[in-house]
Amino acid sequence: MARINGARIDNAGMDGAQQALATGGGLLSPLARAQYAALARLRWRVFVNGLRSKLGAFELGARVVAYVMYGILGLGLGAGAGAIAYSLADSQNWQYSPIVFWVVCLIWQVVPIMLASFQEQFDLSSLLRFPVGFRSFFLLYVVFGLSDLSTIIGGLCCFGILVGVTAARPDLFVWTALILAIFAAFNILMVRAVFAWIDRWLSQRKTREILGAIFMVLILSMQLMNPAVWQHGHRASGKRQQQQIQQMLASPWVKTANEVQEWLPPGLAGVALRQAASQQPAPALGSLGVLGLFVVAAGSVLGLRLRAEYHGENLGAAPALKKSAKNSAKAVPVREKTAEREGDWRFGGSGPIAAIIEKEIRSLLRTLPLLYAVGAPLVLVLVISGSFIRGASRGPAPLVAFPLCVFFAQIGFRMLFSNNLGTEGAGIQLYFLSPTPMRTVMLAKNLLHSAVFVVVLVIAGLLATLRLGEPGAVVVAATIAWLLFVLPCNLAVGNIFSLTMPYRINPGRISRQRGSQASTLLSLLLQVGVLAVGALVFELCSIGGMMWLTVPIFLALTVVAVFVWLRILGNSDDIASQHKDLLIATLMKAD
Amino acid sequence: MQTSPGNFQSSFRRPASTPALIQTPTLLFLPHMEFAAIQTHGLTRRFGEFTAVDGVTFSVAPGQFFGFLGPNGAGKSTTIKMLTGLLEPSAGTIEILGKPFSASALDLKRQIGVVPEGMALFGRLTAPEYLRFVGRMYGLDRETTNQRTQELLEFMQLANETRKLVTDFSHGMQKKLALAAAVIHGPRVLFLDEPFEGVDAIAAGMLKAMLQGMINRGATIFLTTHVLEIVERLCSHVAIIHQGRLVANGPLEELRAGVASTLPGAQSAQRLTLEEIFLSIVGAGDQQDLSQELSWLA
Repeated sequence: MARINGARIDNAGMDGAQQALATGGGLLSPLARAQYAALARLRWRVFVNGLRSKLGAFELGARVVAYVMYGILGLGLGAGAGAIAYSLADSQNWQYSPIVFWVVCLIWQVVPIMLASFQEQFDLSSLLRFPVGFRSFFLLYVVFGLSDLSTIIGGLCCFGILVGVTAARPDLFVWTALILAIFAAFNILMVRAVFAWIDRWLSQRKTREILGAIFMVLILSMQLMNPAVWQHGHRASGKRQQQQIQQMLASPWVKTANEVQEWLPPGLAGVALRQAASQQPAPALGSLGVLGLFVVAAGSVLGLRLRAEYHGENLGAAPALKKSAKNSAKAVPVREKTAEREGDWRFGGSGPIAAIIEKEIRSLLRTLPLLYAVGAPLVLVLVISGSFIRGASRGPAPLVAFPLCVFFAQIGFRMLFSNNLGTEGAGIQLYFLSPTPMRTVMLAKNLLHSAVFVVVLVIAGLLATLRLGEPGAVVVAATIAWLLFVLPCNLAVGNIFSLTMPYRINPGRISRQRGSQASTLLSLLLQVGVLAVGALVFELCSIGGMMWLTVPIFLALTVVAVFVWLRILGNSDDIASQHKDLLIATLMKAD
Repeated sequence: MQTSPGNFQSSFRRPASTPALIQTPTLLFLPHMEFAAIQTHGLTRRFGEFTAVDGVTFSVAPGQFFGFLGPNGAGKSTTIKMLTGLLEPSAGTIEILGKPFSASALDLKRQIGVVPEGMALFGRLTAPEYLRFVGRMYGLDRETTNQRTQELLEFMQLANETRKLVTDFSHGMQKKLALAAAVIHGPRVLFLDEPFEGVDAIAAGMLKAMLQGMINRGATIFLTTHVLEIVERLCSHVAIIHQGRLVANGPLEELRAGVASTLPGAQSAQRLTLEEIFLSIVGAGDQQDLSQELSWLA
């Protein structure tokens, strides 16, 4: 027994309860449970205290509306999944059940990638200063992410499948519930593991470049695969198309792919359900066991990443420190080394606008969430163009296919436009301290963001052209005119949101960002608004057979939008001055 | 407001009420000065019902090294934020270099340098990138900015860290960088909010020498810090704020003499440290034996 100055210290100064708290270390130990309760209370107090301000109350309202929207979206998808599940169960077509699970799995895993800029999660890394066990940290990480969009939609899809199967075959309720619970556990762990590792890979230049290259290869592969799979699909008749599909399904590679998918989680879930429906409990349990192994594997992959974080890994610091160590080893003379940096690329001009643009480019290239948010929606172009290609096999592709594909690529700019001060951190003070007016700061940011907007949309246009074929000149002109209208709308509204509803962006992470549901929701409404205006103009002009008329209409709207943008830009200093306290307090908050 | 030092009770005892202002009017306007470097009148800032700064009036002459002291939460940072344009005053006026701040904000911002509470750094830039950015935000041309960036990095001993992001700097390095950024445009008035916090002894000595050099060349420095030894060594004039009100203002020697005269037994003013003056003015709290408190601490 340890002693200090002759006194036993095993229970000195502690009563029974305190001792139990101090000695526990398990997942459900008294200490861990006390920590869960404290964290829950902390979140509750943060929530209640947030309501003290008008913005906080507005934020709550926006959150409620957002979750209702997510719920409606999830219910729609869930109802669809339920209807398909009912149909398959009722007609005993269990061989197709893996398709339903694959679709749900894809939605679960892809939705967060598509809507990266709308995600918001609680960062638990601040808990590491407390005596939180790793298993508790892991559990909290998983539990605190359960309110995200993908889990809500995925969960509602699973519920739909449960209802659908049970309605057709009530005897399968327990089996279906069990299968879906394990399937959901896999998805919850997998999506977190994917994001945790993407954070890790994108934090270092080399792995970032490798990941970028893989992404490009993936996109090019999809371009090559597309004509291979849908050969002449555009002009095929219904019968001919059916024959093509039958031929494709009969081909050896499809059979192999089917055999392989049966050993992957969605396939295993479908197979387990089929086996349970065929009164084969032992094989069904076997399939479930393999599915359980996938859950363990996904958990382990996530755990591997979280353990590094738990042991104090700092993604932001690690690469830079290594470089620094290398540098000091070289012992290059100080003046020489500084001069070496002078040779770096620089943006032309020496005024504040050039300085801000130069600084913004550097910051953007080093800010993962923004890079990701801007780049990830390009995947949407592939998905949306894919849906048009399949639709086109039954007739000509609609005129709006090209503009819609390009429009969706700009969704990622929401974070850039509507929170353009989010990455400034404590640097926001400099804008108020320096003699540069806030309108100059906003103008510089708007100019750069417009340039990035153009570059991304040109890439999106090229991708859409590769997928859909070359669009007509009028369609291209109409699309450009529409986007010319969308850009100042985004800039104008974005400047107001940036100055009145800012939130801090952690530049080193893609996942676990704080956010503002109010800003998210309102900017989403803006997107819906400009989309609706675009759809209305396209529809009216195409009905009248005067597509060319869209161009002058959009250009007229652009003039109005530019005028509004300039007015808001001119008032930036007043708006910033009115919200100075909020801007500084919010953006300087520690991560 | 001006009162005699006799209002103070004995040293190390909290005054019964908020202490009255000790002010030495001779220092407010030196005869050869046309205008004060910093002048406030009735400066007030309210946050809802709470008044953080309450009718603060003081003046800092050009070339002064002015120490602005106060306990935690007294209103120091709020005052400095109002003086530098980071916070709007609820009432009162501010004049910097003879011009009203509200009317000539952009012009005055070119002539002042600030190390604010949060340091105003951009974490995703390197130190040279940050200094070059700040220089250009203050309107310096590229060549001058580059030259000064290099000189400042060497002076601040940061030239070996040119590839490291600011976010990866230690706290002390960030303070040095913030100070370098505050002076890159050669300000006539420098506002420093806790500039020595987290800075090592070698760097602190170097910074003190730099600040003293600026004073010798005619700059005015407004400094807030909790390190009273630094104020004692550097500052010629001191003001003390307590619970949002200015309770002392004047040359250090006069404050020393004023406080010494209130002490029992007419203690020698020369022997009084700034810490004793400070504690005497803002109150030292109940000087009971604290060793018996928090007995569960190791």
